[in-house]
Amino acid sequence: MRGLRKEISPNRAVFEPGERERLRRSLGRAGRIAIGAAAAIVLPAAAWAGNGQNALHPASKQEHAISVLWWVMLVGCSIGFGVIATLLLLGWIRRNRDYLPFGGRDRAGTAIVIGLGVFVPIVVLSILFVWSDLYVLKTTDAPAANSTRMSVRVIGHDWWWEIRYPGSRAVTANEIHIPVRTRVDMLGTTADVIHSFWVPELNRKVDLIPGRVNRLLLDADRPGEYRGQCAEFCGQQHAHMGMTVFADSPDVFQRWLANQERPARKPATPQAREGERLFLSLPCSGCHMIRGTGADGTIGPDLTHLATRDTLAALTLPTKPADLAHWIEDPQRYKPGSKMPGSALTSSQRDALVAYLGYLK
Amino acid sequence: MSALPHSGKATTPRAVARVERARLARPNGWWGMAIFVATEATLFGTILGTYFYLRFNNLHWPPPGVPEPKLTLPLVLTAILVSTSVPVQLSVSAAARGQLPRARAALLFAAVLQAGYLGMQLHLFVHDVHEFPPSGSAYSSIYFTMLGAHHLHVFVGILLTLWILIRTASGLTSYRMNGLRATAFYWHFVNVLALCVLGTQLSPLA
Amino acid sequence: MATTVTEPGLRRVERLERIWVEPRGLLGWLTTTDHKRIGLLYFFTTLAFFGAGGIEALLMRTQLSQPEEKVLSPETYNQLMTMHGVTMIFLFVIPMAIGAFGNYLVPLMIGARDMAFPRLNALSFWLFLASGLFMYASVFMHAAPNAGWFDYVPLALKPYSPGRNIDFYALGLIFNGISSTAAALNFIVTIFKLRAPGMSMNRMPLFCFAMLAVSLSLIFALPSLTIDLVFLELQRNLGFHFFDVPHGGDPLLWQHLFWLFGHPEVYIIILPAFGIATSIIPTFSKRKMIAFPLVALAELLVAFIGFGVWAHHMFATGLPTITLVFFAAASMMVVIPSTIQVFAWTVTVALGRPEFRAPLMFIGGFIVFFVLGGLSGIMFAAIPFDQATTDTYFVVAHFHFIIFGAAVFPILGGMFYWFPKVTGRLYHEGAAKFSFWLAFVGTALTFFPMHVVGLLGMTRRVYTYPSSLGWDAYNLSETIGAFILTAGLLLIFANLAYSRFRGAPAGPDPFFGGTLEWTTTSPPPPYNFPVIPTVKSAYPNWDVEDRRADAARLERGELVFDEGHETPASTVVDAVPDEIVEMPSESPWPLAVAVCTGLLFVMLLTRHYAVAGVFAGLALLAVAAWHAKEPLET
Repeated sequence: MRGLRKEISPNRAVFEPGERERLRRSLGRAGRIAIGAAAAIVLPAAAWAGNGQNALHPASKQEHAISVLWWVMLVGCSIGFGVIATLLLLGWIRRNRDYLPFGGRDRAGTAIVIGLGVFVPIVVLSILFVWSDLYVLKTTDAPAANSTRMSVRVIGHDWWWEIRYPGSRAVTANEIHIPVRTRVDMLGTTADVIHSFWVPELNRKVDLIPGRVNRLLLDADRPGEYRGQCAEFCGQQHAHMGMTVFADSPDVFQRWLANQERPARKPATPQAREGERLFLSLPCSGCHMIRGTGADGTIGPDLTHLATRDTLAALTLPTKPADLAHWIEDPQRYKPGSKMPGSALTSSQRDALVAYLGYLK
Repeated sequence: MSALPHSGKATTPRAVARVERARLARPNGWWGMAIFVATEATLFGTILGTYFYLRFNNLHWPPPGVPEPKLTLPLVLTAILVSTSVPVQLSVSAAARGQLPRARAALLFAAVLQAGYLGMQLHLFVHDVHEFPPSGSAYSSIYFTMLGAHHLHVFVGILLTLWILIRTASGLTSYRMNGLRATAFYWHFVNVLALCVLGTQLSPLA
Repeated sequence: MATTVTEPGLRRVERLERIWVEPRGLLGWLTTTDHKRIGLLYFFTTLAFFGAGGIEALLMRTQLSQPEEKVLSPETYNQLMTMHGVTMIFLFVIPMAIGAFGNYLVPLMIGARDMAFPRLNALSFWLFLASGLFMYASVFMHAAPNAGWFDYVPLALKPYSPGRNIDFYALGLIFNGISSTAAALNFIVTIFKLRAPGMSMNRMPLFCFAMLAVSLSLIFALPSLTIDLVFLELQRNLGFHFFDVPHGGDPLLWQHLFWLFGHPEVYIIILPAFGIATSIIPTFSKRKMIAFPLVALAELLVAFIGFGVWAHHMFATGLPTITLVFFAAASMMVVIPSTIQVFAWTVTVALGRPEFRAPLMFIGGFIVFFVLGGLSGIMFAAIPFDQATTDTYFVVAHFHFIIFGAAVFPILGGMFYWFPKVTGRLYHEGAAKFSFWLAFVGTALTFFPMHVVGLLGMTRRVYTYPSSLGWDAYNLSETIGAFILTAGLLLIFANLAYSRFRGAPAGPDPFFGGTLEWTTTSPPPPYNFPVIPTVKSAYPNWDVEDRRADAARLERGELVFDEGHETPASTVVDAVPDEIVEMPSESPWPLAVAVCTGLLFVMLLTRHYAVAGVFAGLALLAVAAWHAKEPLET
């Protein structure tokens, strides 16, 4: 009757004739396929510089450190996976239908398990721990309070970003401007639910939590536009809560900031003046602020310098007149669930409003 | 193997005592209660953990306007409750020896004390809810949740005790003996819990 | 075992059949306490929920196949997204692994006749079914939970979620938790006390070690979730203050309590898969598992250490740096028991003479996905990298490789492996192998691109995305992969359904497995074993002499226990036989308790608290009636 056998046979080798060679050949073939596949998948991602939101396209020292960490870990993980794949391949080479259950070679097997399963991981993980959690963390961690020359306050709302500059009267929405190569302390909180501030090319993310101020360093290496997005599910329009960080040369930044501090420009054409009148008499002014006019609502974004911004509704639409018109008429069509109601305006009223908003440079 | 004690056949106090003497390991029902106690203890661990988490999150604890916890009455009541572990355990050892009337008397005595404890505590609870309702602060929210959970466990313990008293009125079987052991374990757990809850409740006084 | 049974033996078997038979038809199924029937009830119920969760996934993937798609509204998408997670975790993968596989196999593997508490076992199932129906009622009311499966506050509080959606979530999961707690309790006591004579702890099958680890984890993890949900309901409906800052609360309290449960939960998800893998590997590798004691210890250790890592889900919340570093260190420590197991499995296969039939191929797929998902998991222990990629599609890729690739593939492999035991028939091997490849390619194609798109900046839980960011091609391939995977799954179930009726007869032991379930008939009789087996090693079915001795015992009436509804209980560590326990037979009370409890939760949902109290009282009365019928010798 069948039963457990202690050894295959005391003098039998692990490999039958020809198996060693088959293993070597299979490893070679498998290795080439794996490297080719990996390159095909990974390199395009690395090379992609186009989207402004690529964590592997760093534009700051912090994100560069994270990016390097990623590539090294990827190589390490590939080696680890290769070891496992080799063992599975070895099993495939040794496949056989006719054996009965056996034991034996337990000591050798256990030695491999302890060596590769305990000691090697301890060493590798210790190195990873020291490098990433003690060393790199120092670079990406929030700066000490009051240790940077400049700070910007971000307050998350459903589903837009309120941006303020401590020490300045400037208030804007969904766009952050910072001077390039300057350490800027981002002080983040929320007015409602938990959001998360993430600009992938500049740094890691940090959550915006009620009752707390969490900080993050923004320090762009080079001028550019860096896209970000809310990274904590915050309700219906979480998908449409983007923002852009503009890193400008210091004097461009100063000019921008000085402009943002000014009250709203006065409209110069009759159509635009009609638009201003409409804005102040319709519910618009109940939600939105336009500094220097009677519109002092704080529920929606500050529109004082709307025309200096490229996009509307947290990157949902561009600020071109046609898009602005569509948005005002029916915001729910583009951002269903947002707090802005539609409006029953005649087309001339709508055009007047759009003309007025075009003056808010 | 036919010499193995058969709990399904023990339907008199003497037969039950024989099974109890012969047994090597604790019965399945005891283990079941032990695991149940483990999960309930963890539940209270998270409640007490929440109490201290919120406490260290707040400068003033209790917050202004909320009275400090009373000391004497809760202390005395808890002492009474904890002391009922003695008659409950005596009930178990009496039943294991086959002495059913003694076991039931001890259990009844414990039940009266436990019911008295619960009545007084509920009276205090209702009074406190009117004085500092849970909708007022995190302090009162966790205070009443913690005490409410504890009182609920005492109530369930009293129901278990009553059930054992009712069932043993018609005699003792191994099944009821296991139930009595499980109920005793439960009461020891509730009594230890009462001490932990009391300590937490009174911690602002420290 | 094909030995001739003589007269006295046959008479004993007939007596056992008479004692253990349950009623046929619907009434039998509604009152059953047989662990095998309960296992089958769980199996088909969880499959239905798997289908629901799968449809939810396919709808989401269709919406995401193109940028700015308009197939689903954001509200519908957010409900689907939440219910997909809740369904797959709480209504499919865990009840399938524990309720179906665990329930059916554990008593068989330890040589017992049933679980320690058969009526409690039935209650676990009916409570589970009721909780699933309760939560799915919300789907039909278009009020399904919509704040994500971890339901962060303040989004889940009344001001931001005024409808019933979150109440369905909270009450439904508390309800579900009662079922899981009861099941876990049952497994622990069964494994401790009902093992066959001689099956000391170190001879227990690794599948049972995994079930023990899962059950202990559930016992200590569920209370944290339960209390979190209780706090949520108290705040939402009775005005308590736990999570709002102005009254002294803290939104992070929700997260700490949730993840204190949530991280052990992911080990609860994966441990049964480890158990299934360690059952299939020795059988098909034709050798004993390498480093058996280390593997058993690793299964328990991973559950234990898993309680100490929860805040690694909160690395981006602004916790103090020292806290982050502690949890990262703990998260790296918890890797070691897993690497021990991975190498034990693969070395066993490599040093064996494997036969790559369908079950082993699914385990091969499991190892590949577990290693890939585990490696990306290790990357998350590097705090800066975690803070960059958490809440993006990179983490979605990681956990789907683990939950789908590593937890579901063994379930699929296990379905094929034990199909002959449960049905008495063989599945179609060629179709099974082909369906493996479809599922493998589909899984890889669905979830691998998610790593890339997450690094390219795509956050999770978004119902749509703009076209300018380069995410389009990846999303489209993920959707295609999802449909390929679905095809593979459909082929698997078609194979099993067809083979159930037309498969070749299997016999008791088609694969020559080492554990006790292969010693009895396929399917097993209601009493599992005519003779309770005596165990002398960890692979009792490979100890042929012992099994022959069992057959001889049947004639002599030793270890048959045919005088009533009996099974032996033994000591906890060494399995020395201790007493004969009388098992209860079929009972209507578990179903009654479950119905009353379901109505209780409905009343809590609709805030009719007095009526809820009435149903609670009725449930208690049903419990009393249940215990009034003692299993006595008849």
